[in-house]
Amino acid sequence: MTLELILQQLLAGLGTSLKIFGLTLLFSLPLGLLVSFGRMSKITPLRGLMKVYISILRGTPLMLQLFVVYFGPYYIFGKQITPSYRLTAVIIGFVLNYAAYFAEIFRSGIESMPQGQYEAAEVLGYTKRQTFFKIIFPQVIKRILPPITNETITLVKDTSLAFSIAVAEMFTVAKALAAAQRSMVPFAAAGIFYYVFNFVVAFAMERIEKRLSYYK
Amino acid sequence: MKKILAVIMASAVVVGLLSGCGSKEVEKASEEIQKAAEVVEENLEEGKGTFTVGFDQEFPPYGYVGDDGEFTGFDLDLAAEVANRLDLELVLTPIDWDAKDMELNSGAIDCIWSGFTINGREDLYTWSKPYTDNSQVFVVKKASGIEDFDDLAGSIVEVQTDSSAQQALDSEEFAELKATFDDYILVPNYNQAFMDLESGAVDAVAMDIGVARFQIEGKEDTYRILEEPIVSELYGIGFLKGNEELRDKVQEAMDEIVADGTFAAISNKYFGYDVGLSE
Repeated sequence: MTLELILQQLLAGLGTSLKIFGLTLLFSLPLGLLVSFGRMSKITPLRGLMKVYISILRGTPLMLQLFVVYFGPYYIFGKQITPSYRLTAVIIGFVLNYAAYFAEIFRSGIESMPQGQYEAAEVLGYTKRQTFFKIIFPQVIKRILPPITNETITLVKDTSLAFSIAVAEMFTVAKALAAAQRSMVPFAAAGIFYYVFNFVVAFAMERIEKRLSYYK
Repeated sequence: MKKILAVIMASAVVVGLLSGCGSKEVEKASEEIQKAAEVVEENLEEGKGTFTVGFDQEFPPYGYVGDDGEFTGFDLDLAAEVANRLDLELVLTPIDWDAKDMELNSGAIDCIWSGFTINGREDLYTWSKPYTDNSQVFVVKKASGIEDFDDLAGSIVEVQTDSSAQQALDSEEFAELKATFDDYILVPNYNQAFMDLESGAVDAVAMDIGVARFQIEGKEDTYRILEEPIVSELYGIGFLKGNEELRDKVQEAMDEIVADGTFAAISNKYFGYDVGLSE
């Protein structure tokens, strides 16, 4: 097998990794924000429920959560699962898991805003909604970008867990190639791919940070 | 909210299953069989059914990624031939070996066909007739000077989790031998075990002889397969317990494949000789 073919195979695997990465970010960030609202809610049962949600999703391995999402419909409800459900299950599992982490990051950002800003907004006649979206949230985004970048980079590497329910992403391809070729080259290539992937992510996040720091 | 509750319940159930509470499994068994049979019937009625084979993609020469980047291997070629003769569409699904039972029980795959050892698992699956025999052997570095089981005393031995080699070594028969090892390590796959052997992290790897031959091909000067096998055993195709309907169909096709020489041809391609069983 030529190096070119190895790279080609890995690129196909990278496509799956990218899909998991993109879809997870797309859904887990908004869900995380909602969860953080629930977590800070004045309604005690809702707050408790979100606490339990975060506690379970952070406290159990993502691999186990993927098993639950994928095999759960069958083992709990006796519903036959189809192969096309695999990727969906991976996305659901990742979104639920990452939303829990993002929720806490959002909460740390929102709770760090000084009370005085709310009071000033009230005096100026802003509604609660306006206060949050026009004044608070833009500042929160700026503050939480570094930890969000952390999670995002972790997510890139976590995509390799998808194979626990037989979704073949890049690292799975690398392992299979290494076994078939009896060679370390696929691992080295995969390592470089991950690094470049994360380098791009980190670079993009840095650019966003710079663009948002318009008061400096 | 419901979703969250479901997740909580699901976690509890899975934990229960993993810790091996048996009663629920038994209850579900009959349901499973019915469902599987229904699915097969539906597929056959539609006339464009699928035959989904679950396999370990890191298990050359039985199932692996070929030089052209496609899944290939002895078992997969046989599966393709069977699917062809049954007029079913073959779906090759590489699975995580630790999740193989969940994959099979849930109907995500129709069978496990992956150098799958019958011995010790007789009652867990509905089996095809064995189609080849296979021994578990130790692979060592030649330079280590290890030649027989006695020489293994004080050495570090590695094995793939939930493999037949592990099952054999964990049996009482080998308890004494195992006690002489300095350490006994489980790894997720054979390739990793071989990397450990190559790098000197372990002294011996217990594995299937077919895999061992494939791994040391071209490196015969460096490695040695110990002559004395740990156990001799048989490979078969594993179906969901009770799914005799599909098993019988596949078996019929396999009998044909053996009878008309196709089996020998495929065997020659991978092993250079006919690995079939003479009955």
